Amino acid sequence: MSVNARDVGKKDTSFEREPARRVFAAELRECRYQFKEGDDEKSPTFVLLPTGERSNRIFLIGTLTEKQRQGDQNLFYRGRVVDPTGTFFVMAGSYQPESMQQIAKIETPAFVAVVGKPNIYQKDPASSPLVSVRIESINVVDRETRDLWVLDTAARTLDRVDALAKGETKDVTTAKEQYPTLDPAVFKKMAYEALAQIKI
Amino acid sequence: MDYSEIAERISRKFSQKNQTVDSKKIEGKLRRLVDEFGVLPSEAERSVTNELAKEFNIPALGTSSGSGPGSATEQKKIADAMPGDWVTLEGKVVSLSTPTSPTIAQSGIVADESGAIRFIVWAKSNAPAMTEGSWYRIESAVVDDYKGIPGIKVHSGTTIKELGTTDPLIPVPVQITDLHTGVGSVRAKVVQEWEPTHDRMLQSGLLGDETGTIKFVIWKEAGKERLEVGSVYSVFYALVDEYNGRLSLNLTTAKIMQEEGDIPTISGGEAAIRGAIVHIAPGSGIIKRCPVEGCNRALSRQNYCPIHEIQPNFVYDLRIKGWLDDGEKTHNLLLQREVVETLTGMTLDQAKEIAENNPLGMDEVFLRMRDILLGRYVLCRGREIENRLLVNSCERLTFDSGEHATLLNRAGGAS
Repeated sequence: MSVNARDVGKKDTSFEREPARRVFAAELRECRYQFKEGDDEKSPTFVLLPTGERSNRIFLIGTLTEKQRQGDQNLFYRGRVVDPTGTFFVMAGSYQPESMQQIAKIETPAFVAVVGKPNIYQKDPASSPLVSVRIESINVVDRETRDLWVLDTAARTLDRVDALAKGETKDVTTAKEQYPTLDPAVFKKMAYEALAQIKI
Repeated sequence: MDYSEIAERISRKFSQKNQTVDSKKIEGKLRRLVDEFGVLPSEAERSVTNELAKEFNIPALGTSSGSGPGSATEQKKIADAMPGDWVTLEGKVVSLSTPTSPTIAQSGIVADESGAIRFIVWAKSNAPAMTEGSWYRIESAVVDDYKGIPGIKVHSGTTIKELGTTDPLIPVPVQITDLHTGVGSVRAKVVQEWEPTHDRMLQSGLLGDETGTIKFVIWKEAGKERLEVGSVYSVFYALVDEYNGRLSLNLTTAKIMQEEGDIPTISGGEAAIRGAIVHIAPGSGIIKRCPVEGCNRALSRQNYCPIHEIQPNFVYDLRIKGWLDDGEKTHNLLLQREVVETLTGMTLDQAKEIAENNPLGMDEVFLRMRDILLGRYVLCRGREIENRLLVNSCERLTFDSGEHATLLNRAGGAS
């Protein structure tokens, strides 16, 4: 087959896009530690997952159950996306006009695939931190795609739990320091329960 | 004394530079220097040459007679010539290429039974022109390295003698994975052909053998022919270049012979990636391409080609550019029309119909394709080149209950 070399392009060759991690809502909810590598203003920010992997971006699929338009000058949308283990809080602000238009179009409830950046917010020191996902893209998908995501995310979560037990990477070490009370068995159980909810 | 012979030699030198000089006038100058001022004929030749060179604003031509300082340079086999060496070697000029700069008189490849090396004859060296297919003794030339590729430089201190031998020289092809920068010969099959990216490009694509694949290019020159996809060729003395850590073959000046039969090729860099499509980039969907032969660039919305300007008779095409993410790594994707049609279920004709009749035009095609693909799990097969996967086939994943059961066991196993 003839490939158009024109499209092969010259740019992007050195650029590595941050991968989108697969994580269940119940694990993302537990994130408390956020860090940056490098002093550059543009260096990516990572949220450290309790299972010991950094995530600058996540990919999630669930049911968009609610969406709400908020703000006057700074218009933004909030939404709740539910997976078998809990709820993701997603948002799209005026800096993401594409994402805002996409979420605006979607009628709840619907299965949605979301690519976005996780962030840890704390309203004030007294309240407990909240992890939300700033939407890069959101799109309606079917149930089979949702089920594929549950398989994928369960497999990735189990991989991380295994890696955590081996305890070799830098992120694993940091996770053990930052999340000393979390038992990895919790996440294994969570993966099992998510899988068990898929009807065969 | 007869000065016509020297005068003739000088005028030949200048006619090579496209300058005509009057032989009678040169003879007069020579006679004056030698007869009146007692200058030696060789010195007179030098001084007249320099005087004329100055007049025509040509950098010093030197004379071909006085050979260099005769410093002890080693006679070497080509394969042993290392950058930094001053060498003397005997070899056959196996190819000549068009010089890339007016400071270069000749460039090409010289070979002996040990190997082959690129050479450059500086215009300033005033060396006699060599002909392709003849053997020469090249005395005290410099081996240097330009962008990591060794080459022989013929300068004014180098002497070149034609040897008059006619040994046939048959290079031994190597396997693609054994190629290194410089000059190489392979026996390989054309496994892919790409559309040219430049007006001067005759053909580009991929050559493959049992060990790997390599990109090739042939530039447009008189007498050059395109290679056939699927055919096997012996390629002698191709230029092996490196760009961004990847080797490629320039076949423009190589000897190419079509071979009978077939060879098995491995598709090096062949990748199969399962993941989710996490982004569809602008420039996906239906696009317009420049109709000028060999161009095929994507046009802007105003039908503007960066090279051929406004092209109202554009050609429609489909493509998808995006990112496929497996959770560990994100792969840049490029899907060609056939793959896009199969994956989205939208044919080029249907897309054209939408683009021309829908109020959103081409954007509508982009949006529909994005809705179909974004967030979906797919398996893409293709070749990964410089971080970009050129997709040959792409299919939607389906739910596998076997995998489900395996994962349930894994998650439910002893913790």
